[in-house]
Amino acid sequence: MNTQQSRLGAEHYLAGMRAALADLPASEVAEIMEDVEAHVTEVAAELGEDETLEQRLGTPEAYAQELRTAAGYPARTEVIAKPNKLPALSKPRIAAWLLGGATAFTLIAGTALLREAGVLLLPAAALAISYVLVREHGPEQRPMMQLPEVLKLGELLNQPAETPAGRAIAYLRSLQPAWWLLRTVLLVVAAVLLTSRDLFAFLIIAALAALAFYAGPKSKTDRRWLWITLPASALAAATILQMIDVAADSMNYGRASNSYPVQVTEQYENIYPFDSNGKLLEGVLLFDQDGNAINAQRDYPCPGTEPMIPNNKYPRPKIDRSTGECLTIPPSAAVPPSASSPPSVSGTPSSAPPTSGSSAPSSPPASASPSPSK
Amino acid sequence: MDTSQLLKGVLDLAVLAVLRKEDGYGYDVLRRLRSGGLNDVGDASVYGTLRRLYNAGLLTSYVVPSEEGPHRKYYSINEPGRERLAESGKTWRSFASTLNGLLGEVA
Repeated sequence: MNTQQSRLGAEHYLAGMRAALADLPASEVAEIMEDVEAHVTEVAAELGEDETLEQRLGTPEAYAQELRTAAGYPARTEVIAKPNKLPALSKPRIAAWLLGGATAFTLIAGTALLREAGVLLLPAAALAISYVLVREHGPEQRPMMQLPEVLKLGELLNQPAETPAGRAIAYLRSLQPAWWLLRTVLLVVAAVLLTSRDLFAFLIIAALAALAFYAGPKSKTDRRWLWITLPASALAAATILQMIDVAADSMNYGRASNSYPVQVTEQYENIYPFDSNGKLLEGVLLFDQDGNAINAQRDYPCPGTEPMIPNNKYPRPKIDRSTGECLTIPPSAAVPPSASSPPSVSGTPSSAPPTSGSSAPSSPPASASPSPSK
Repeated sequence: MDTSQLLKGVLDLAVLAVLRKEDGYGYDVLRRLRSGGLNDVGDASVYGTLRRLYNAGLLTSYVVPSEEGPHRKYYSINEPGRERLAESGKTWRSFASTLNGLLGEVA
């Protein structure tokens, strides 16, 4: 049994004891628990591989009963709803839910980290509020750990070792140090990817990476580190998701541009046809092999030219920004030097691929059936 | 005969006795009792007895921080505790010799 497991087992056991002693005066319970906590922790550390605290000490209730008898306390009197003395909206509860919520939000919103790092300000604020609410409870954070929902969670994560779930959890626990390292690496990667765009976010995430590395082993004994380790884990996990997303995107893009080159045309802003003498042709209508108009992306329409000339009539007139006139502005350096070469790609429509005969539609509109659409 | 029944009556005495020479925290007292031969003594009984003796004003306690794990609460015997130990010790010895005498007749 590793220390993490035994610690959780001990906590569970102690919680059971506290419940069984809840009818005694609080100061006396505190004194008893001071003794018993040391005892149970020590016994838990001595346990063998398959031993449980219950096997060694009996159930928490039996332990409490034996202690009561020996100490001469009155037998258990039923105290109604004593464990629920916390109001529904106590500070530890708000803090716990804020912590959980901020972690969940970080996991979801963190997937947009590289696009918009500012989304993390919200969970950061929630974490700050949450921490301030329970700061006074020190490293153990006992009031929060004893919320029914937190105890329930602890139970879920502390399955008996012989069940498949217990084995799976034990296996995952054994990977924990590796995760601490991976988490730091992921956060550093995220921080580095952000350097060029958002220096502030870079600094914050780099600091988080360093803190998370330091906090991993610490959080087992000092719960206050949870306010760092939980969101750090969520952010690291979100970074993985985002990397998968980015990788998938670039793969899709690569495939698309290979198999449908014609779609790329739509990214042109304008098209400048030249004849074999290097003279710019105007009013050229472009169609593809199916007789559909080839329409470049439309932007900066010229005022006053509506109803518009056919969409596929090139080159399109553009506003000359210096004069405000609507003119056909030829690409400045794109005039082909000789009859056979296509317009140089270094001109204004700099992203245009070569428009040599092989890649252009072979039949001009004259020989194709359709008439230019309106 | 079930020694646990006997133990109940004399656990006070046993706990005071092991604290006579040296202070100890709960688990420490438990170990000393076990190594002294009281193998059947229950963990919770020892802790309960310590609380009872403390509440009766026969023990004092102080806390020693521990590097790993929760801190330890040490118990030490005070003057009333020593008096009680001497008194109960006397009672036990006379009781034991009486019983020995009875058993001697039987055996």
